[in-house]
Order: sequence, then C-alpha cells, then structure tokens
Amino acid sequence: MMDLKDLTEAIKTGNRTQATSLTQEALDADLTPQSILDAMVVGMDEIGDKFKRNEVFVPEMLIAARAMNESMAILEPSLVKSGYKPLATAVIGTVQGDLHDIGKNLVSMMWKGSALNVIDLGTNVTPDKFVAAIKEHDAKLVGLSALLTTTMPSMKATVEAIKSEELSDVKILIGGAPVTQSFADQIGADGYSPDAASAVDSAHQLLGIR
Amino acid sequence: MTGKEILMCALRGEATPRPAWLPYVGVHGGKLVDAPADKYLQSSDLIVKGLLRANELYRPDGLPIMFDLQMEAEVLGCQLKWAEKTPPAVVTHPMSLMEGDGKTLADLPEFCVTKGRFPIAFEALDRVKQEIGEDVALYSLLTGPFTLALHLLGNDIFMNMYDNPQSVLDVMDFCADIGCQVAKSYIEHGADVVAVVDPMTSQISSEHFDEFVTPYVNRIFDCIASTKAMSSMFVCGDATRNLEVMAALHCNNIAIDEQIPLDKIRDLVLPANKSFGGNLKLTTVLLMGDEEDAKLNAIECIDSAGDQSFVLAPGCDLPYDVKPENLSAVATMVHDEYQRDVARNTINSKQSDSFDDIVLPDYQNEDAVIIDVVTLDSEGCAPCQYMFKAALDARTRLGDKVKIVLNEHKITTREGVGMMVKLQVPNLPSICIDGQCKFASITPDTALIVEEIVNAARKKQEVES
Repeated sequence: MMDLKDLTEAIKTGNRTQATSLTQEALDADLTPQSILDAMVVGMDEIGDKFKRNEVFVPEMLIAARAMNESMAILEPSLVKSGYKPLATAVIGTVQGDLHDIGKNLVSMMWKGSALNVIDLGTNVTPDKFVAAIKEHDAKLVGLSALLTTTMPSMKATVEAIKSEELSDVKILIGGAPVTQSFADQIGADGYSPDAASAVDSAHQLLGIR
Repeated sequence: MTGKEILMCALRGEATPRPAWLPYVGVHGGKLVDAPADKYLQSSDLIVKGLLRANELYRPDGLPIMFDLQMEAEVLGCQLKWAEKTPPAVVTHPMSLMEGDGKTLADLPEFCVTKGRFPIAFEALDRVKQEIGEDVALYSLLTGPFTLALHLLGNDIFMNMYDNPQSVLDVMDFCADIGCQVAKSYIEHGADVVAVVDPMTSQISSEHFDEFVTPYVNRIFDCIASTKAMSSMFVCGDATRNLEVMAALHCNNIAIDEQIPLDKIRDLVLPANKSFGGNLKLTTVLLMGDEEDAKLNAIECIDSAGDQSFVLAPGCDLPYDVKPENLSAVATMVHDEYQRDVARNTINSKQSDSFDDIVLPDYQNEDAVIIDVVTLDSEGCAPCQYMFKAALDARTRLGDKVKIVLNEHKITTREGVGMMVKLQVPNLPSICIDGQCKFASITPDTALIVEEIVNAARKKQEVES
C-alpha cells in the first residue's frame, strides 16, 4: 500500500511535481480522499510550525502552499464526491487603501490547507465589500490584513462596519506588520495573529474547532 | 561641531558629544506643508519646503531627500497607485508570469536617471544642499536590489528562488547596476550619505540573503565607497535572522526597525567597524503616542545604544500623520542633556507610580500663598538654580506684605516626582503658585512672579470676604 508520508514530505518541501503525482497515485490506489487531504494538511502544519519558529521563511511557505494548491486541484473533485464539507467559510482581504498581499495570500493559502473554504477578496477592500461577502457566503470568520501603518484605521472602520450589521457569530481576526494584540483589543477585533501559521491556530480557536 | 559633523562622526564609528539625529521625513514632509503625499512626492518645490520646515521643527543632523522605494520601478514600467498619505504602491509587476506580462529584462524600458522622478529628487537635493547642506547631512535613498527585483517579478521571485535561481540572480545583477547608477548620480548632486533600502530582505533566510542579496548590495556599497560619500543599509521589518549577514556587508552603517533591540545590533556591528541606527517606534509612539511617550522612547534608544557609532532615527519612513510635537520632543532629548536627565528621572517613576499618598494642599484655604518650585535639583543644575532664586527674590521683595510659603520639590526624590505629577507640571524647572503652574522652563523676571503672588493673595481675600 502506498505511504502517504511521501506526499506529506513533498508538500512540506514544496516539491509540486512530486506532490501532484503522488496525489494522483493515491487516488488511483483508491485511498480515501479524506486520508489524502489529511496527509497534505500534516505537511502544511509542519511547514507552518517551522515558519512560526523562524526556521523557514516566506519563499519556503509559498512553495509549500503552491504544492498544496496544485495537489488540491487534483483531489477536489473526488473530495466533493465523497461528501466532504469544509469546516467553515472564511472571508479574507487586505483593507481599504492597502495594496499589499503577500501576508494575506499566505494566510489564505494556509487557511485553505486547514480545511476552510476561503473567499479571497484581494487587496484594497472596502468595509462594505467585507460585509457583503460575509452575508453572501455565510462566513463565520473574517481575516483583515494591513501592511501600512496608515491603513490601520481602515481595519477599525471594517470592524465597526461588521459589528454594526450585527453579524454576531462572525469572528474577526487581524494581522500584518504594524498590527499588535493591543491594537486588536483597541478596535474590538476577536483575535490577532503575528504570522500566517499562527493564523491557522487562531482561526480554529475562534471557530471552536480545536 | 555642526549637526552634520556629529552625524558623520557617528557614521565613521566615533563617539559623539550627543546622539546624532536623523528623522526620516518622507511623506511626512507633505503634512508639514499641507500637501498630500502624491503631490509632495512629485514636486521638488514641495519637497524643499517640507525639508526646510522639518529642519526648523526637528533640528536634525541629517535628513533624507525622499523616502520612496518606487522611483526605480516606475522608470522600469511598473504602474503606481498614488495615495494621499503614503508613498505610491507598485501595482503591476511586468516580469511576473503569475500577475503580469512575463516580460524579460530586455523587454523593460531602458533605465536612465533622467527619467521618472529622478530629476525631481536631484533638483530637491541641489536646493536643500544649498540651503542647509553645511549643517545637515543629506541622505539619498535608493531601492535595494531585492526590493526592486520584487517590484519587477512580484511574488514570482520567491518561487523562482527555488524553481530557477539563475533567473533571479540575473534580475538582481540588473537591479544592482541600476543601484550603482542611482547612487553615483545622487553623490554627484551632493548627497553625503546614500542608503540602500531593502525591506523585502526581511522575508528571506540568511542563506538566501547570502546568495541573492549580499553580492549585489555589496556592489552598490563598493561604488559608494569609491567616492567620498558614506553608505547605509536600511531594512525595515523584522530582520532578526539576517543581522549577522547584514553586519558583514560593505556599508558604513546598518539601520534597523523597532523589532530589533538596539544593543543586539550594536554588539554585532561594532566589531565589524560599522555604525548603527534606529529605532524609535513609528506607530505606537510617534504616530499614536504623546510627547512623553516620544521622550521616553528616545531615552530608551539613546541609553541602550550608547554614545558611540549611533544614529537615533525612527524604525522606518515616518508616517504622514506623525505628530510634529512628538518629533520635536525627540529633538529636545537629543539636544538637551539636562532634559534627558529630567526625562530619565521623571518618566520612569511616573509610569510605575500613581502617587496616591501625595496629596496637594487645599491651596485656596491656606493662609499663605504657596509657591512650589519643581526642579531637577537647584544645587546641581543651573536653570533650576536661577528659577529657585527668582522665587526667593520675589519673596524677599514682597517682605511682610504677603504671607508666603516657598517649597522646592526636587524630582530626584519620589516626593518631587509625585508633586510634579499632581501639579501637572509640563516642563522643568517650573514655578507653581497656589497649585497653578505659572512659569515653566524659562526663568521669569522677578517682577512677574511678584505680580502673580499678589494676584493669588488677592484671590484668597476675595474668597474670604
């Protein structure tokens, strides 16, 4: 029987050629889609932990996430057929006035890898757009990203817009270079994450998954 | 010694009589002249005005002409999105396959320093040099090769570092050539220091830094070293893991942001005969804090850095809306040793003590007019001595006409700091009369104090009758 550890390793090291062919092999060998997904998620978790410990950096995370995404594209049809449902839907975007997306993309990819359905609204997203997307997709989690000090007030405006709609069961997680836990507390966000890997733990914690 | 000389001393690794001070006035210059960032960064007139205003307000030893890491990218065909309070952002990456047209280096517009906004930067430099160049060191900033390569390649650069490293090295080579051209032109126009600003290097490992960054930034630093200008490497962002490799670069100075302890970078760069700069907190202190926060943060930086090879500077480009009074407060800490001592004594105590046990008298119901002179110590500091003597003279002049109680509160004691807090004294030394701070910092004429005492006595009588 095929050993899914190789798939985990291929995801972790960002070897997309190997990761995609191993995913296909696993499907051909009639392994359950859930077990294949689990093997991928372990790979992303391990690289995420290394990222948190400052042992790997943005390039390593991006190539792992790319391997994961390409493998997911192969796995997804079988996964859907098997009745798999994501744990929850999350909306993510960089706030209005800010066009930086590396951090946001990393969190988005990490969330996708942790069994969340992620709606990525891109950059320069207005508070209204966030609110509309939450309603449309019945999202339970919102991720707000900012790189610039000057766009931090947009985070506050977005949090206020979401709260004023009384979307009470939506949790708001913020992050980005200038953001801190005390800023999160100040603007009434539900959580703050210092890096992309921690954003997975924070998301699961806020959603009561783990 | 001029401010410029102090800063150049620090850059050369020498001890300085006071901290060298380099506020990174980029878009913040626009705020000082009521111009939005987009207009400011496209007008040499506004830049010159902004910098001259900053020079008056902040008494710096050095100033950057522009802080805009998009100028090279703009010439190379990256589209910019302009904003009112930030430098422009690069929104298209022409060499990216994922996000752009996948152009090659040969497809890019030819780079030349006569294009884009470089002529604006040169004109501003020429004019500011003429106005204040004798006293203030002028910094010209250029986009570091890794950050410029990221502008060209977008996120592809990170993938290509694995998939096709040679292609990234080729782009780095190209960007380093541009860096050399830009550096030489700035130096020809009179820049005293050229800083290579490469914030995106904070995103990669030290192995990648060695492979993809070191040879290319060193080429630029070697170009600068062949002239009389000095060089600096700025990395905004958490560069902790790359400090060792940065300390080995061929530059004169390493500037870091608030995420890195100053004593840590100091211990790494001093043995490598380099100077270092940083790292006032941009957001929590300079933007959102008050003058006291700014003073405390400045003192923290100054005390942890020591008096050798150090340039006090913000962690990165000053946000547009930084409060000018906060930067003026930093300038006070830089220029006035006495105020540094005052701040050290007061701020620390004030932050950790609410002084609940120190109760002010019920001034209006006291028989005497109470004069509280708050000082560092009238025996040890000249301004305090004159302030206290002025109060004494006023009492002598009034003789028996008014009943007066005169107290000195030295902030070298807890009681003194407590009184300073309770009396809400803004500066030292100060004279308070019946609980009201009447004179701060500058010693008044005795007649003025007499007048205030007489007014206070009259008020008491009015209350009684």
